[in-house]
Amino acid sequence: MPSVEHNPDSVTQSEWSPHILLTFLQSQSQNALTRLYQRPSSCLSIFRLLRPLERQLIMNILWLESATPLSTMSAWVTQEGKKPYSDSLSTLARLHIIPNSTTKLALNATFRASLRQAITGGGTTGSFGVPAEPDPQHSPPDIATLDAYALERWETILHYMVSSGTGQHPTKPSQEVLFLLQRSGLMTRVHGGVLQITSSGFQFLLHDPHAQLWELLLQFLHMAEERQMDLVEVLSFLLMLSTMELGREYSTENLSPTQSAMLADLRNYGLVWQHSTSARQFCPSRLATTLTSSSPPLPTSRSTGGGSHDQGFIVLETNYRLYAYTDNPLQIAVLNLFVNLKSRFPNLVVGAITRESVKKALANGITADQIISYLTTHAHPQMRKNKPLLPVTVQDQIRLWELEKNRLKSQEGYLYTAFASQADYEYVLNYAKQLDVVLWDNPTKRCFFGSLDGHANIRGFIERRSAGIA
Amino acid sequence: MPPRRLEPGYHDGESDSDVDIFDDFGASAKSKGKGKGKAIDRGKKEKGKGTSKEQPYAWEASYTRSWDTVQEDEAGSLQGAVEDLIARGRRRRLLAPAAAIRRTIIRHLILLLDLSSAMMDRDMRPTRFDLMLQYAREFVTEWFDQNPLGQIGVVGMRAGIGERLGEMTGNPQEVLKAISERHKLEPTGEPSLQNAIDMARSSTSHLPTHSSREILIIFGSLTTCDPGNIHETLAECVKDRIRISVVALAAEMKICRELCDKTGGQFGVALNEGHFKDLLFELIPPPAQRATAPNARGGATAPADLMMMGFPTRLPDTSPPSLCVCHSKLKSEGFLCPRCGAKVCDVPTDCDICGLMIVSSPHLARSYHHLFPVKTYQAVTDLDDTPNPSSSCHGCARPFKNAPQQMAGSSGEGMSPLGRYRCPDCHNDFCPECDVFVHDVVHCCPGCGK
Amino acid sequence: MDRASHLSVVVDLSPNHWYLSSTRTQQNARPLSLKSFLSQLLVFLNSHIACKDENTLAVFGALPGRSVMLHSSTNESSGNPFEMADADTYRPFKILDAEVMQTIARHVETLGPSDIKKPVELVGALSKSLCYINRITTASSTQSNEQTAALDPRILILSVSPDQSSSYIPIMNSIFAAQKLKVTIDICKVYGSESVFLQQAAHLTGGSYLHLERADALLQYLTMSFLPPPSIRQLLSVPTQDKIDFRAACFCHKRIVDIGFVCSVCLSIFCQPVPVCSTCRTKFPIKTLQRLNAARPTVATPATTPTVQTALSLPSSNSIKGTNVNGSQSTVQNGSR
Repeated sequence: MPSVEHNPDSVTQSEWSPHILLTFLQSQSQNALTRLYQRPSSCLSIFRLLRPLERQLIMNILWLESATPLSTMSAWVTQEGKKPYSDSLSTLARLHIIPNSTTKLALNATFRASLRQAITGGGTTGSFGVPAEPDPQHSPPDIATLDAYALERWETILHYMVSSGTGQHPTKPSQEVLFLLQRSGLMTRVHGGVLQITSSGFQFLLHDPHAQLWELLLQFLHMAEERQMDLVEVLSFLLMLSTMELGREYSTENLSPTQSAMLADLRNYGLVWQHSTSARQFCPSRLATTLTSSSPPLPTSRSTGGGSHDQGFIVLETNYRLYAYTDNPLQIAVLNLFVNLKSRFPNLVVGAITRESVKKALANGITADQIISYLTTHAHPQMRKNKPLLPVTVQDQIRLWELEKNRLKSQEGYLYTAFASQADYEYVLNYAKQLDVVLWDNPTKRCFFGSLDGHANIRGFIERRSAGIA
Repeated sequence: MPPRRLEPGYHDGESDSDVDIFDDFGASAKSKGKGKGKAIDRGKKEKGKGTSKEQPYAWEASYTRSWDTVQEDEAGSLQGAVEDLIARGRRRRLLAPAAAIRRTIIRHLILLLDLSSAMMDRDMRPTRFDLMLQYAREFVTEWFDQNPLGQIGVVGMRAGIGERLGEMTGNPQEVLKAISERHKLEPTGEPSLQNAIDMARSSTSHLPTHSSREILIIFGSLTTCDPGNIHETLAECVKDRIRISVVALAAEMKICRELCDKTGGQFGVALNEGHFKDLLFELIPPPAQRATAPNARGGATAPADLMMMGFPTRLPDTSPPSLCVCHSKLKSEGFLCPRCGAKVCDVPTDCDICGLMIVSSPHLARSYHHLFPVKTYQAVTDLDDTPNPSSSCHGCARPFKNAPQQMAGSSGEGMSPLGRYRCPDCHNDFCPECDVFVHDVVHCCPGCGK
Repeated sequence: MDRASHLSVVVDLSPNHWYLSSTRTQQNARPLSLKSFLSQLLVFLNSHIACKDENTLAVFGALPGRSVMLHSSTNESSGNPFEMADADTYRPFKILDAEVMQTIARHVETLGPSDIKKPVELVGALSKSLCYINRITTASSTQSNEQTAALDPRILILSVSPDQSSSYIPIMNSIFAAQKLKVTIDICKVYGSESVFLQQAAHLTGGSYLHLERADALLQYLTMSFLPPPSIRQLLSVPTQDKIDFRAACFCHKRIVDIGFVCSVCLSIFCQPVPVCSTCRTKFPIKTLQRLNAARPTVATPATTPTVQTALSLPSSNSIKGTNVNGSQSTVQNGSR
């Protein structure tokens, strides 16, 4: 039985990987970032997306007027903190928050001024949103309404994705959303112009809502770039939304034309609520206000399950059987991606994880780790008493099924044959081994296979050698 | 390559197992299979019919423990049962005298563990023996937490003799080590109470008069096989003023009851796992000193005494390393005995060189709450005589309920229908959670700061 | 790694000592007024909330003779929401700042002249913060939601008044409660002499103790030392104090003793053998007194103790300086005894 390698590092790595938005920001020009940092709300939101150590480093030098010598700061770093510390510094340098320097640490002046202003308050930027005057005709929606609205919009999108190509026809999201899904490669238009979910779309479905939301927004940002929208304005509007308060109406008057145009898109995603398309007020939904926090972006009262989503709903047994306490069509549809569903009750779905069902999921591009992490995050509270949470047999088996797919691996390269003598062969083989390019060798047949990138060297070596002999 | 040739076979095996799973699964839906699937079905049926005489698998019934089921009220809520538990806890606390009483602070305890074959019984899960070890570990940790100046020794009863498992020590780690190695403690043979008590008694004989001597017996057997007359041993214990407490796991035995009654200890028979733990943990707080017992002995050795104690200098981690007297290891941190300057690793302890008792002031302070307990809060039954009642708990700022809540059944005694408990000194109101927390953990009233 | 943390701040608001702190004297070359202290404190509190949306905060004030909760992030603010609206400030900051300042003002106003003399209720504020932490931790653990259950609570005490010997036992009790709840207690001594009780609080709970040397740099001290949650402190060290006096003061003369005589009943400490315990009126046997008196002269004479130590050439207490951890500035004065 092949051993299943479980790499603990991969978990910590993913925990430490920077937020998806930050990776995007790192690709932006310094000029654009500096413009973005002019708004205190943007600074605060970006600050929150950073990792804890990066936040602390910023805080340590936020209130200092002069630059700190690098040696002073590194004196505080403990032995095990060395690597995270240098990682953090390079992340901050790429974001142009702490410019690269070999001697001094200082914050980007714009960023410093804005973050200071965000924390102390005051100023006249109005970057935290201008509250609207109460409108006598339309009372602002209460939080429950907003949540229901956001949930409905969001699940419409996901449900459309998951049931595409199954013959069902759920409600279609708006054209803009469909376009975005297609642009992002989550869905693709197959023959006859029908949208069909792609393998990355399947992966997308297994992510937690927070990651899904950011993934879509990032696509939105890419699209905005192509549509010649001002990226800084788009970004600062999104970041401003994240600092707004749920259940409060804000005025559209101070928004730039780009931002006003965005409102329509954001309405489609369920981030923003407006009582009519031309309204002068808007309300951020929970999807928007939790953009920079890790609290659940969707309301807890999901469907009629009564908080079942928040609690987790999946019970998985060692015999591969799976019980899902849910009546949410979206969750059932997602489960259907990798579970062979057998029976359905008013609040319970029963199925089994089988080789076929997992193979089907793998064929769709879903990885074993994604399945396992989905099962882990949605495990029923009853399961959380188990240690480890999921039955090891099932976890290992899912990984093994994935390994089955990876039996053959192709690699381009060159086969070297017809060596004149055994000595010749060994001499070249030795050289190639030193370069670490040998993929396979067979001394009896006097041939070996080298990878593509080693070819030039080996070829040169053989030529030089034959030239030398000649 | 050789491995590749094997793969088809491997492949086949793999899919076979899948089919198995699948078949089993399909069958269970038709309730034809065995195991879990059927169990569910039957469970449903039983619920419908109430108590059914016909139980195909008797062994399954052994999993349902009557004492685990908490009674629900008519509405199916557990609220009443939970409140009942809280109320019981409160009433127990009310029974305890609020005034400062004399308690034995410097305790010496011998933990006597039954390691006879009776401990392998499975009436407590997983076995009596495993459960005893587990609870003993929790007991030791908690005991040292509350009695920082105390010492514990461990003696086992196995194969008719008493076995010394751990010397008397004030270091919780050493005691835990003594009872951590399960394979060394494997139960066997008959227990002998007399032999074990004699051994425990001999290891307490050197102790000073002001300290308490206690023996705690966890006894699972229903017999004892003794070489002589155990009543003579009992008389010796009474003479030495050793207090014996017994937690029996099986049933009450006359001799055990007598041991406890004559020496002023507590006797209890554990009904179940939870009760076992309760019985054990009841013995953690320092016992009140019995005023009558010493007087009866003529007061020749009154337990009160003045003790000489040293307060050591703590060496920081950065001091130059030196050898410690307890383990002869080179290390920088440690404590210096104020009398002889010897360096010890841990306090409280007796100095290995000059025998002075070395304690640090926090250790003394840890015992103070036994001596100066927080006064019991009084349940507020109505707000008629309070001019302007506070709207939230004085401790945690949790808002109070406005309307009185209906109490479930007779459990309401000692409970406030308003969820308010008032400190008799500062007249501030507290919520039930803070009431418990203040008396059990903080030992200091947030209102009056005492 | 990145999880929400809870911070409870206990602010010592003793009018007398804040007056002393704000007046310039020989010893107090850098005066710090309550006003500038509070504004720096508010910035620090905002920073804590800024770090993470889920971070929670509770602020307690210790006033003479009473202790009050100034703010808690779980309690909904009662103010009119439209008054508070401001486009230039992040709303949670606004609420926090307004609430803290208003509550302080309200309570300081009601202080009568007789109250001023009373010592501050540090114990009350500390035990309240423990009750509050107990409330939020038990509430989150019953929800079985790992996200919220995993907050590591901390308490930060900003102290200006000196220790009161009468509050020794309750303070120690609170410290042990904090230990049990796994709450770290950080101490910032803003003004006044070192506090032995609070040093022990920081030491026993694994927190850090900082004596503010430059009062004008308060905010920098606060952010550097007390903002990072425990997980970050493993990577970026914070000043800790290594040398803590664990000796006790005797109950009879309040002298710090190396070797004391302790009543076995009530644990009162005396610097010399006494026939009757002054606390619990227990009479001690004559034999013990004679024995202890006989043992005493050889040990308790202070003059002999140092010679014994030097003769053994063990590291004596006098040779040990408070040491800096990674360049921290918390040097401990040896004269704290």
